[in-house]
Amino acid sequence: MLARRRLDTVDSTDKSQRGVTMRVLAGISQKRLFKTILANSRDRLYRMAFSWTHDPALADDLVQQTCYQALRKQRHLRDIDAADAWLFRILANCLADHHRARREVLSGEEFVIVEKWTPEHATQEDQVAQRVRKAVSALPLAHRQVVTLVDLEGFSYAAVADILDIPVGTVMSRLSRGRRALRDHLLDVNARGEVNLPAKVRRIK
Amino acid sequence: MTKDELISDEQLNAFTDGELEADEENRVFTLSEENAEVDVRLCQHRKVKELVQHAYRDVPKPRRHDNKGGPGKNLLSLAAAAVLLLAVGLVGGWTVSRSLDGGSVPLVAAATNPDTLLLHVASSDPMRMQQALDRAEALMAGPDGATSPRVEIVANEGGLNLLRSDMTPYARQIRRLAEQDVLFFACSKAIERLEEQGVSVQLVPEANTNYSALDRVVHRMQQGWTYEKI
Repeated sequence: MLARRRLDTVDSTDKSQRGVTMRVLAGISQKRLFKTILANSRDRLYRMAFSWTHDPALADDLVQQTCYQALRKQRHLRDIDAADAWLFRILANCLADHHRARREVLSGEEFVIVEKWTPEHATQEDQVAQRVRKAVSALPLAHRQVVTLVDLEGFSYAAVADILDIPVGTVMSRLSRGRRALRDHLLDVNARGEVNLPAKVRRIK
Repeated sequence: MTKDELISDEQLNAFTDGELEADEENRVFTLSEENAEVDVRLCQHRKVKELVQHAYRDVPKPRRHDNKGGPGKNLLSLAAAAVLLLAVGLVGGWTVSRSLDGGSVPLVAAATNPDTLLLHVASSDPMRMQQALDRAEALMAGPDGATSPRVEIVANEGGLNLLRSDMTPYARQIRRLAEQDVLFFACSKAIERLEEQGVSVQLVPEANTNYSALDRVVHRMQQGWTYEKI
């Protein structure tokens, strides 16, 4: 059974929300608070957009579009403590709009965008990071979004379900399939997907 | 979960992500201590999570040629625009100054009948392009000539074909509108991106390329212009 998010769990989302609450208590106006949250969220939104697209220019456009829409729609945000998830939901919608505008019809989790991987992606110094990004980029977008929202932002499964407008069970199954694919790409598993146990702990009947 | 597995991937993920209740966590701890395969699978889940976190700790920043104001410039502009939008929403109109026959004349405009309009073309669908141009033309024609509306048409990457001389079917209408002082802006960022991809971008002579689409939109919104996305 899934646990409700515990108050003592420290991750970026909780830190942000706790900070928000503190500032509300300190009497800072809602509008000013929202602008602060938005400014502080920009880098995180960009990182998420980049992990979804692996295209710096497109990611930047998506973040700008997200900021623009957030500012226009801020009166719809009733609970300032929910601003974090709300911003990421707008980002997800902006990406969906982007694909829709290019007539790339999303058909649930079967939809796959295999990002074009060019040599310039491999010019970075961190080969491990490049290998992981390549594996992430090969995931179906639906799986990629769930994996990155959980792993990079520490969103709870319930929050991811809200951001992507899908059931929690779907979040769990997409996460499971996404991580399994990454494991197969990145870790030492054999061709049948079985775990290669270290010899010293392998049990022999 | 196969019948040979003691615990499913979903449960291991939930454990890894701190989503399990305490009793379920205890069960996973016990299983991982007693069963080497569960322990290895658990380690793999954690390692995959840490690899993903590592891979995106430092991501490449976008190259912005128009970032003259330093980091946060656009966001500050957007924030200012939002404040303005809020004011518009509250008051239902706004006051602007503009030059008319050499003088500065205060205007009070209703949001539904703007004298200053920025049309954002984000699609290369010919019907949308036509719609934007017709909208500008109708406003410039005006019902009685009592006011002199100001209109700008901004094309971002999606709508850039409107202003590409080798693509647009509306060069004549653009010229006609430009003669009525309608200004056209082609997104400088979109052009730069296309040229990086080896595309030679030829624009109609009426197109300005001094701003990115977003910066122009924000600039005009700060001044109280009405924004319409086509």
